[in-house]
Amino acid sequence: MSRSDVVKVLEVADRRHSSRRDGAVRRWFRSTEPAAIIFAVPVVLCFVYFSWGPIVRGLLLSFQRTNLVQAPQWVGLDNLSYVLSDPLLPKAALNTAWFALLALVIGFPVPIFLAVFMNEMRRTGWLYSALAYLPAVLPPVAAILLWKFFYDPGAGGIFNTLLGFVGLGPFPWLNSTAMAMPAIVLEATWAGAGATAIIYLAALGSVQTELYEAAEIDRAGIWRKVWHITIPQLRNIILVMMLLQLIGTFQLFAEPFLFTGGGPDNATLTIMLMIYQYAFVNGDFGAAAALSLILALFLCVLSGVYQLVTRRWSD
Amino acid sequence: MIARRQVLATFAGIAVAGPLVACSSGSSSGSTDPNAPVKISIGDRPTPDNAAALKQYNDTVAAFMKANPNITIDTSETVWDPQTFQAQVAGGTLPTVLSVAFTEPALLMANRQLPDITDQLKSMGLLDQLNPAVLPTVSRDNRIYAVPIFVYTFALIYNRKLFTAAGLDPDKPPTTWDEVRAAAKAITQKTGKTGFGAMTTKNQGGWGFTNMVYGMGGRIESGDGKKSRLTDEPVVKTLQLLKDMRWTDNSLGSQFLYDANGVTQDFAAGKVGMMLHLPAVWSDLVKKFGMKAADVGVGQSPQAGTDLKGVLTGGNVRIISIKASSEQVNAALKWIAYNDFRPFSDKAVAVANVKATLANKDFVGIPGVTPLGEKQYDQYLEWIKPSVNVPAAGFTGYTDTVKKMPLIAEPPNKAQEAYKALDTVVQKVMTDQSVDPAALLSDAAKSLDSKLSR
Repeated sequence: MSRSDVVKVLEVADRRHSSRRDGAVRRWFRSTEPAAIIFAVPVVLCFVYFSWGPIVRGLLLSFQRTNLVQAPQWVGLDNLSYVLSDPLLPKAALNTAWFALLALVIGFPVPIFLAVFMNEMRRTGWLYSALAYLPAVLPPVAAILLWKFFYDPGAGGIFNTLLGFVGLGPFPWLNSTAMAMPAIVLEATWAGAGATAIIYLAALGSVQTELYEAAEIDRAGIWRKVWHITIPQLRNIILVMMLLQLIGTFQLFAEPFLFTGGGPDNATLTIMLMIYQYAFVNGDFGAAAALSLILALFLCVLSGVYQLVTRRWSD
Repeated sequence: MIARRQVLATFAGIAVAGPLVACSSGSSSGSTDPNAPVKISIGDRPTPDNAAALKQYNDTVAAFMKANPNITIDTSETVWDPQTFQAQVAGGTLPTVLSVAFTEPALLMANRQLPDITDQLKSMGLLDQLNPAVLPTVSRDNRIYAVPIFVYTFALIYNRKLFTAAGLDPDKPPTTWDEVRAAAKAITQKTGKTGFGAMTTKNQGGWGFTNMVYGMGGRIESGDGKKSRLTDEPVVKTLQLLKDMRWTDNSLGSQFLYDANGVTQDFAAGKVGMMLHLPAVWSDLVKKFGMKAADVGVGQSPQAGTDLKGVLTGGNVRIISIKASSEQVNAALKWIAYNDFRPFSDKAVAVANVKATLANKDFVGIPGVTPLGEKQYDQYLEWIKPSVNVPAAGFTGYTDTVKKMPLIAEPPNKAQEAYKALDTVVQKVMTDQSVDPAALLSDAAKSLDSKLSR
């Protein structure tokens, strides 16, 4: 093919492409009722104003210094560099990652097993699902305050009393830099497992029962059935739940805020807690917005990488 | 932090038309007509479950508007809440007048979120009435930004029953840190309870530690607020004391994540022998947590030795919205004078107030520091004497020295950042035996200095 032929082919392709695009717009316009657009506009505007507005505002705020009274001053990358040079940031980032890891190892398998268990209990399954879901009904603040009693470090604390019967403890729980984060993960798992298990339970309903029947004929035990049939069938939902959990764990706030205030010795200080302290304790909204921006970017990148890595498995 | 509403209820005025301070123009933004119609909003309205206080509040507002026909007041239940305050500032929904704790004005002044009211205070004759010792909390660069209406200093709150059980004299509370240490040790050894409960979280750990340092003769920041002073000897000594009490005497118990409320609860439950708190906590301990009044003792904030080094002040101030016009600022100050100052200058109001407080089953006579002149305050105390319903004996340790004790304001620059840094320091000393107080404070000083320079 000569050079001019190539140019001609490209021109034709371009023309065809653009005419197709024009056609699509025209078709869309013709097929859409004007009334529908009129009805949709307020909803879209509300969405833009209340949902995207704050995001854009937050983005601008991260480059400004403001006291919310006078006009904000533009400070360029000042807030970002201030936040990045905060000596507490690496600690908070590590703590957050440590929580995410612990939650993944301890907390992630629990709802899957719960769901499989509830699914197996054909007659009384509803009872177990109700029991498992109960913690999700409890307001988080109430649940955390309740667990604060459980974690009382004295010998008379509820957990310490129970463990005392078997000769263990008393443990300092939240009062030790080493135990505070695992203690928070334990509570978070208890609080979140039920709601997640319900989602898995719904997904289990779609697993083809013939596979189990075939496995039973092959004399497969319950573990082999779970491992070879249930888990692979749940693969897609597991991957989505894992991503959601990762994002959720990086936004951990209520537990450390109410349990420990970030202590002891900043052992439970998380990124979200830092953002809160910048904004509402120090009144430094620029720094809070800057750190939020960094967290949001990080979560975007994490989600992207996660999608890439897991694409192969989920096909 | 403390039941401010109960405390303030003591001082809410009732319907008596009293003489009002003459008001003239004085605003920096130009002359204002004192008789022009103006509308202001005030927060801190008691909730309906607090019927007596609500009636008193409404009556005061009605009487004020009758006496000042040009001023209209809107009331709301809005109370100070750090989480909604900034949104209210931004949205313009902040009441014109609101009561906030002493810990807040420093940050609000630094953020330029409070109006300069110095000139109006002067021209209305209110400035002369205020106790100069409490002004630093509401001043920045010699200008005044809020009105102190209620002042307390830190005190040593102790459980008289545990003192007796530990063989200590409940009528002679410790006044020095050495005595506190010995008493704490005795309480833990004899009763098994926590000898001394220290706050460590929500910046209240740093708040309490700052008061300890003041008693030791130290400071957290230099006078201009540009440099931290955490490596000074009194600060290191204070931290070393906590370390010794924790690890040598084992008298600090096992809970090292107390905020002010948490330690108060455990104190009321008889689990803690001593704590540093404001005397106003007395009413929480007795009314809210059901502790026996006779078991609560209030002593002076402990000092390094017998000479009085000083104490951190706390209490409440009235702030005025930054968005208020100069007419509104004038009207707001008139309201503050009417509502908060008059009970001290008018016997009828003082007595009526106290009666309403008693009707509400609240307490009269918890000692404090006067936001106004000394003489006026003594006169006021004389007026209310017949109605006092707190046992004076429980407070003698505090009242013995309260008039002589130097009052020291919060750290001048970024107090909350300093408190946050000190929270961590205190927590670390209590949870890690190997830590060296001097090195720890040196690290904290470096990190605080970088914040102070922002």
